Amino acid sequence: MKIIIVGAGEVGFNIASHLAFENKDVVVIDHNRVAIRHVSDNIDVQVLNGSGSSPVVLKQAGIKEADILLAVTDSDETNLVACLVANIISPTTKKLARIRSADYDEYHDTFRDHTPHIDTLINPEIEVVKTIHRIMNVPGAVDVDDFAEGRVKFVGIHLDKSARLAGVRLSEISAKIGKKIPLIAAVIRDEELIIPRGNDRLLAGDLVYFISEKDNYLDSLAIFDKQVEPIGSVLIIGGGNIGFRLANLLEEKAVLTKIIEKDPDRCAQLAERLNKAVILHGDGSDQELLREENIQNMDVVITLTDDEETNILTSLLAKRMGAANTITKISKVSYLPLMSMIGLEQVVSPRLSAVNTILQHIRRGKVISAKSIKNEQAEIMEAVALETSDVVGKPIKKINIPKGALITGIIRNDNVIIPSGESVIEPNDRIIIFSTRQAIPKIEKILAVKLEYF
Amino acid sequence: MRWHFILSIVGILLFFLGLCMAFPLFFGLYYKDQSVIPLLKAMGITLAAGLSLIVCFRSVKVDYISHREGMAIVAIGWTAIGLFGAFPFYLGSEFGTFIDAFFESVSGFTTTGSSILTNIEGVSKGLLFWRSFIQWLGGMGIIVLSVAILPFLGVGGMQLYKAEVPSPVPDKLKPRIRDTAMILWKVYVLISLAEVLLLMIGGMDFYDALCHTFTTMPTGGFSTKNTSIAHYNSVYLDTVFIFFMILAGINFSLHYQFLRGKPLAFWRDSECRFFLGAVLVLTGIVSINIYGSVYETLGQALRFGSFQVVSIVTTTGYATADYELWPAMSQIILLLCMFLGASAGSTGGGMKCLRVMLYFKYCYKELFSLIHPHAVKHIKIGGKSVPEDVMRSVLGFMGLYIGLFAFSSVLIASMGVDFMTSIAAVAATIGNIGPGLGMVGPSDNFAHIPYLGKWVLIWCMLLGRLEIYTVIILLVPEFWRK
Repeated sequence: MKIIIVGAGEVGFNIASHLAFENKDVVVIDHNRVAIRHVSDNIDVQVLNGSGSSPVVLKQAGIKEADILLAVTDSDETNLVACLVANIISPTTKKLARIRSADYDEYHDTFRDHTPHIDTLINPEIEVVKTIHRIMNVPGAVDVDDFAEGRVKFVGIHLDKSARLAGVRLSEISAKIGKKIPLIAAVIRDEELIIPRGNDRLLAGDLVYFISEKDNYLDSLAIFDKQVEPIGSVLIIGGGNIGFRLANLLEEKAVLTKIIEKDPDRCAQLAERLNKAVILHGDGSDQELLREENIQNMDVVITLTDDEETNILTSLLAKRMGAANTITKISKVSYLPLMSMIGLEQVVSPRLSAVNTILQHIRRGKVISAKSIKNEQAEIMEAVALETSDVVGKPIKKINIPKGALITGIIRNDNVIIPSGESVIEPNDRIIIFSTRQAIPKIEKILAVKLEYF
Repeated sequence: MRWHFILSIVGILLFFLGLCMAFPLFFGLYYKDQSVIPLLKAMGITLAAGLSLIVCFRSVKVDYISHREGMAIVAIGWTAIGLFGAFPFYLGSEFGTFIDAFFESVSGFTTTGSSILTNIEGVSKGLLFWRSFIQWLGGMGIIVLSVAILPFLGVGGMQLYKAEVPSPVPDKLKPRIRDTAMILWKVYVLISLAEVLLLMIGGMDFYDALCHTFTTMPTGGFSTKNTSIAHYNSVYLDTVFIFFMILAGINFSLHYQFLRGKPLAFWRDSECRFFLGAVLVLTGIVSINIYGSVYETLGQALRFGSFQVVSIVTTTGYATADYELWPAMSQIILLLCMFLGASAGSTGGGMKCLRVMLYFKYCYKELFSLIHPHAVKHIKIGGKSVPEDVMRSVLGFMGLYIGLFAFSSVLIASMGVDFMTSIAAVAATIGNIGPGLGMVGPSDNFAHIPYLGKWVLIWCMLLGRLEIYTVIILLVPEFWRK
């Protein structure tokens, strides 16, 4: 499978390294020599120096043989033109563009259905807002994802020191709690992914990923001594695009929202476009201002400025001043491993969100959604079991599932089945698979139609 | 620097080398000569050394190789391969002392072709085959081969590849390094097959055709005959050799493009044009120079002149004539050819045409900016600007090359070797050519070079093959700092 990536920024780099790891043929185009060098020094992909929207460069990159074009530069215009040009040269290539401006929001469908047939417009900002909204009301949750239209939840949470399950073996949990426990798919301990077996213990500080049906969601959280907290008030620091979109969403949900923004002009704009939110002009790291605005009574403080160092420090400051919970926006992936160490558990990253959105379009077979978990060490995906694929028609234990992968759920006509070794997957069932990234190429293979060769 | 890891990869390379010794063993068994026992012993030693390195240093899973480690693996790996490749020669006792066997082995792997043998035809067929075969392995690069066929090198393969094939402007034919390495080897094997066929049509037996192909394609230059190609005295064979030496001196990615159905690929590449142009012009000058003074007819002058120019400029080192009997002008031109070398991305050595081109363009740019102090001028190759850092690395390379050449010549001369021989021996080894001038000319050999001198020349050969930086970096204290 050949994939051309236009733009060697953070998003392009992360996707390229993700795909190169899976042995896909990747070509990265960027006009910035330094960025290109960074890619060619670190990832086993082909690089091309030039403008990604130039037909000459795209031809040179081999757009005619490419299966997918990903236009992920920082410039919406470049991305759109790259897709446009690609459509002229090679109409069969699937084209994905990263579009950030909210002005394009209502045209996403138009782009897909008419020429230039840009299959998807990825807007990381929308994705980030969604993520924030999902994790906001579960303190300690790192990831909350919906599969099968929300009927199945995939949750990653930190195990507190006081939690009942800290130090308990997996096989002893049900005895201890006295009821059915959700399926624990993975544990991240010291930055290392572990697929736990019955004998393994959960430890305080672990990041535990589990899968739960929607109806059992609250019970499942309770097992880990977590509950959903109703959110009444939110303080947003940084009134950029994401801040605005989030405030807009929160207004609809009738949550008291305050935004602190440094730039007076931007404040004026926000005040004009938002109705209920309180717009404050000032510096988010100003203690006086925070105290004045009752930070100790805020349910969540969300730091969304463009400067990640500011976000990190402001979140720490808010925590110290008594905010119940903080969510921090971080763009640099290299900071992520530090976050839980300094006590910031809930972190969102627009770049990783973009990577996640793009992933599901790249997966072979009929993959409906795919999501990579912390550090991209593993992925969870929802796929349709095709009639001619290897997974259908036999008990799960007979399927040749690679090591490190797990079928964690089957959805058949609105019913969610948590499978056992004897369960049989029927054609057009939707299955939810958890897989380490080493196992992904094999998983793709068993999901795909047998006679499909790229 | 994770030494465990570096040594375990060197172990893998040695194990692989041990497996390669099966090929000469096959010929030794077929001809039932005395090479079987030494080959078996050497194979045992090499496999055991490789295995014990792998087992002792079986490291935790490593998912990347740093730039520095890549260079260390390649430099140490090549030295180790040269060392263990010498065992068949040493144990076979036809090559004399260990340093002589080591010299011959490194000369083979680096595709130099300088020999210490005084009577080549007296050596057993199995060992002669090994002598040719290691040139073929070293030509396209033993590490490139491992990257192609050993799947686990993955991402790290790229660092190794860059350290072994340090072309000034690296090109990747395919997105993945493994596929690129695979393609290069496939092209290499394909052209080699064609040469074997054409040589056999010219009347060579299979064994000699194979051995000579294995030394033409990597621009190596070992022959199985005492008098090299002159032994055959055939215009047809000379022509075939000239043709394949030129092919081997051209960037292999152009061959790939040609095979993919782009016949103009050679012409479109400015370095290739420069290389072919240089061959034509130099052949013309040398032929005119030797016409009349050495050879009676123009045909003969052209035949021997072109063969020798191509043989030296592609850094192969075959001989059909003793060019030391030619006029001084031709000899000097041949000496300069040793510095020029073949194209980047080919199997040839020397400074490489691309670097020389860039160097001259840079000089012109300097002169130009003296005349127009405010001019903005880019150095371009094939219509594209050459990045500043590439230019800097080229200038650094030229400086180091000349500096190391001068330094090593002084070292050799200090051991009592005469003026011409010292210069030519170093030029011929650092450029991976083979025969030089003076006492190491085409009709002589390197056996009489003093003991320490052989060490210096071994070092020169490795420097030349790995294009200076990868080897010299090991001497920089900063490299070893934590």
